[in-house]
Amino acid sequence: MRLRRTQLVVSVLCLILAYAAPQLLAGKKDKPPEATQNERKRALHALNRLTFGPRPGDVPAVLNMGVDKWIDRQLHPDKINDKALETRLAPFRTLRMDVHEILENFPDQRRAREVMEGKRSMPSDPAQRAVYQVLIARLEEKQERRADGGGTGAASDGHGAHADNRGFSSPAAAGEHTDPPTDTNPSADKTGETRGRADSSGSAAMAEGNANTANANNTDNSNAVAAPEANHAAGVFAEMKPTPGQDAKARNREDRLYADLKVRQLIDLPPNQRFKQVLEMSQQEQRALADSLRGGKGQEFLEGMDAKQKETLLAMSAPLLIVGEELAEAKLMRAIYSDRQLEEVMTDFWFNHFNVFIGKGADRFLVTVYERDVIRPHVLGNFEDLLVATAKSPAMLFYLDNWMSVGPNSLVASGVPSRPMRPNGPYRRRYPGRFPPPGRNPNARGKRNSGLNENYGRELMELHTLSVNGGYSQRDVTEVAKVFTGWTIDKPEEGGGFRFDPRMHEPGSKFVLGHKIKDKGEGEGRDVLHLLATRPQTAHFISLQLAQRFVADDPPDALVDRMAKTFLKKKGDIREVLSTLFYSPEFWAEGAYRAKVKTPLEFVASAVRATGVDVTDAMQLTRQLNNMGMALYGMQPPTGYSMKAETWVNSSALLGRMNFAVALTSSKVRGAKLDSTQLMRNGPPPTDATQALAALENALLAGDVSKQTHDSVAARLKDPKISQRKVDDPMRPADISTIAGLLLGSPEFQRR
Amino acid sequence: MGITRRIFLRNGVLAVVGTAAVPSFLTRAALGAGGSNTHNKRLVVIFQRGAADGLNIVVPHGEQQYYAMRPNINIPHKAVLDLDGFFGLHPSLGPFHPLWRQGHLAIVHAAGSPDTTRSHFDAQDYMESGTPGVKATEDGWLNRCLQALPRPSKKSAFRAIALGPSLPRILSGAEPAVALNSIEDFTIGGRSQKASSLANTFEAMYDHSLDAMLHGSGEQTFDAMKMLKSADPAKYKPAPGADYPRGRFGDSLRQLAQLIKANLGVQVAFADIGGWDHHVNEGSTEGQIANVLREFSESLAAFWTDLGDLGEDTVIVTMSEFGRTARENGNRGTDHGHANVMFVLGGPVKGGKVYGRWPGLDQSQLYEGRDLALTTDFRQVLGEAVARHMENKNLNEVFPRHENQSSKFLKLLG
Repeated sequence: MRLRRTQLVVSVLCLILAYAAPQLLAGKKDKPPEATQNERKRALHALNRLTFGPRPGDVPAVLNMGVDKWIDRQLHPDKINDKALETRLAPFRTLRMDVHEILENFPDQRRAREVMEGKRSMPSDPAQRAVYQVLIARLEEKQERRADGGGTGAASDGHGAHADNRGFSSPAAAGEHTDPPTDTNPSADKTGETRGRADSSGSAAMAEGNANTANANNTDNSNAVAAPEANHAAGVFAEMKPTPGQDAKARNREDRLYADLKVRQLIDLPPNQRFKQVLEMSQQEQRALADSLRGGKGQEFLEGMDAKQKETLLAMSAPLLIVGEELAEAKLMRAIYSDRQLEEVMTDFWFNHFNVFIGKGADRFLVTVYERDVIRPHVLGNFEDLLVATAKSPAMLFYLDNWMSVGPNSLVASGVPSRPMRPNGPYRRRYPGRFPPPGRNPNARGKRNSGLNENYGRELMELHTLSVNGGYSQRDVTEVAKVFTGWTIDKPEEGGGFRFDPRMHEPGSKFVLGHKIKDKGEGEGRDVLHLLATRPQTAHFISLQLAQRFVADDPPDALVDRMAKTFLKKKGDIREVLSTLFYSPEFWAEGAYRAKVKTPLEFVASAVRATGVDVTDAMQLTRQLNNMGMALYGMQPPTGYSMKAETWVNSSALLGRMNFAVALTSSKVRGAKLDSTQLMRNGPPPTDATQALAALENALLAGDVSKQTHDSVAARLKDPKISQRKVDDPMRPADISTIAGLLLGSPEFQRR
Repeated sequence: MGITRRIFLRNGVLAVVGTAAVPSFLTRAALGAGGSNTHNKRLVVIFQRGAADGLNIVVPHGEQQYYAMRPNINIPHKAVLDLDGFFGLHPSLGPFHPLWRQGHLAIVHAAGSPDTTRSHFDAQDYMESGTPGVKATEDGWLNRCLQALPRPSKKSAFRAIALGPSLPRILSGAEPAVALNSIEDFTIGGRSQKASSLANTFEAMYDHSLDAMLHGSGEQTFDAMKMLKSADPAKYKPAPGADYPRGRFGDSLRQLAQLIKANLGVQVAFADIGGWDHHVNEGSTEGQIANVLREFSESLAAFWTDLGDLGEDTVIVTMSEFGRTARENGNRGTDHGHANVMFVLGGPVKGGKVYGRWPGLDQSQLYEGRDLALTTDFRQVLGEAVARHMENKNLNEVFPRHENQSSKFLKLLG
């Protein structure tokens, strides 16, 4: 404590000196006292780093409380009341569900097929039933078509191609598509699931590489801020290219046209009746309606319905997509509205550090729980606890394939069947995302040589703990992989939890980083996690990453070393490491001020916070992030998103930001409305443009705006065309939204 | 003298860019003055995402095994567009046949990434990073390919371009690269009067900004916008005979041709086409694969026609993350396999030949008893294009951890 205070004093002195020296040299000017000015800057800096950007009034509030006290409060989020956020999150039901509830309410094709085949009963709730019915209608259609296709030997039906095109569009597809030939129709599995994936996580799809038809026609981009659905609709309908003579397709088309008509008829009814009518439709009608709802008229049709009704109707089209959409929207809502800002920043940090990709197989329904129950409870807690929690989480086990890793000398490898079924035969290798086909005998194809999967073992050391330069060898990777054999998921397709399966586990001692890991089954993994969590390399790597997030892309070594020291001394206590960071002179150094370029998430959230825009529907905002290349939960590689400037500063990204800034402040982002009187601190908009500019510079950039930016905007206001309007109508209010848009697109707003 | 020529070239090219009404022979003259100047050389990479079925694309119709393993989805002898008595093109690749005969199109069979993963995303990632098996690589090989090349004196914003909404892995890295969804939309706030005045204000801000990084990127952005505006690539209508099919891939290549023809300094470009993951009802001469191949070949052939003389300095390479099982599966489709086929099209290409060693399709010849074995590492093909066409000899930077001897090139570039 004493040490901390000394550091504080030193840092304040540093700041004062850094700030005062040039002022003194330049000669005294008529300014407020230096200390106040510095304190303001300190508050702003703290807000820029510990939050998703200051809101109007935040700087004075922090000053009022005292910067240090405010930081301390942020480090103890449980002391902060966050009730207002809860209201915002209330509509997202999936956030509060467990995995089973998620799967029950938002079934995948597999579950729907089980209902169709009578292996599982149809839910009695009419809303839930509608969701299943649409899936089943699709499955039946698929079967029918397959029967037809089988006859001619060449299936040229458009829908088949379309299913395929988008087949890979779903990350899930990558997994499920890998089914061996004996399995039942794998591509049918995803038809529904992947619908709309292209636009709901465009860049995820991009990263994972697909160009599906829907995407193709979806010219969704940063300029079309208000109307990507319309484009998407065009895509959906453009896909329907019926070939004459194909009954199923003709019927399909008819259904859609009919559904389209129906949508128009129903749209005039009160929301409740509209919803009721949908539930009473036939299965075929529901299917066609579900397809058209993801299109342009969707939003209009959903207007006025409550959260559950909306959710149900959207789920009819692609149930599991809802889960990811709600998660992404909730994340934005939290970033914007939570008062526990540091907790949100840290949740984002750790999720990104232990990244999983929501597009991969079972992770479609596992990520909600992963963030809520695995990441969030530990974000300011103990690193080893967090590491263990991720290692045991089905989401991570699935994402990095450890659940299917089999010891080469394990019982399973030598032919003893395991539960659930293991990947098998010549197809056993590296099938991320694949569920084992039910009822197959693992011995049917004889003994396997090795089912060891090194994916998790490698990333555990490279990305989660030691870092790529952390001094481990390929041999360590293989040994760690052996240690974690048997760490698997109990029935992943059913949303089961962690299970240790001794029959998959590689027997014998292992050697990791020169340490002997004694043969003791599940416990070996715990030993290795402890070993890794307490290595100096890990302490250094985690400290470096935190410093990169909070200080600079290339943080000072001395700072990282000090943080690493705290990490080791306090046994991985994250809150303590952050304390060291926040109370370090480096954190407060002049060079750190606005040194970080915002990521797209930080940019979007900070723009909304700064303008006080009221977000009633965050979907459009999440799509903006997709366009900017930062789809939430959509980072496919385990590296997570880069936090460095070079990744986020390029032509298309900048254009995207400027366009977003202009769209947001002119209320062209659906679900996010700007209240310009609120923005002008409840006063009427000044009719004097220069006054308006000054007020907005204060509101959006805490008054710290470069001369270049100020002059550029001011020059524009003096433009004859604009000033003429003023002469014509002296009472005309200044164009607040344009000025605000320009400031949000300015270079300084791209930094924090 | 060299300097003068270069200055002439630079100013010449810029002048051409700046004026809409310059006759095309002048454009050609300005370019021609560069002679072997690598600045004018272009490498276009096409990714077939989803794992294309190489065996039904360039068909080994001389292999009895092929027909035995694919009873329902083979391409019959009669239907194949024969190339050399052993290999033949899928009938939907009709537009490729003349290119092959003219010697512009070469084929490399049994090629691909040596990594054994059959995960789409890992495999694509590896082929884009250019480092199979290594996930930690941060940038893409096409970006690294540019890094060692001499920079054009006035850096073109369009030196590296990807058609699509965001920058793909293959182009990410230290060199500036532009992702462009559509030429029309590469602007601020649309096309109105107000939008253009907004753009001017933003430009002034970034132009004067003391923030080096954002200043640089901003400058590049506004340069690109202005270049687009003055070059007005939209006025470059496709050349006669360049009939792009409808769809995203055709649109991508049409716009890419516009950018190239508008002299925007494109050196490397990337576009992709999805829809290859045919686990079910793949089809044979008709059906899913036939449809996507038609779009693929018609788009590329139109692009080639459209480029005209500019094709002389262009090499186009296609790739897909892995091939598909040699046998058809129970759903008249194919599952994830290993080696695949690559096409190489361009002026310097010694076409009309299938390169690479054919490993055969007998059970014992298959990789893991199920897939076409790999005999050519995709980096041998790309390395040759990078070293010999783009004249970047620094292959160990572009493809680290790979033995980049030129003796391993297939010598498919003249």
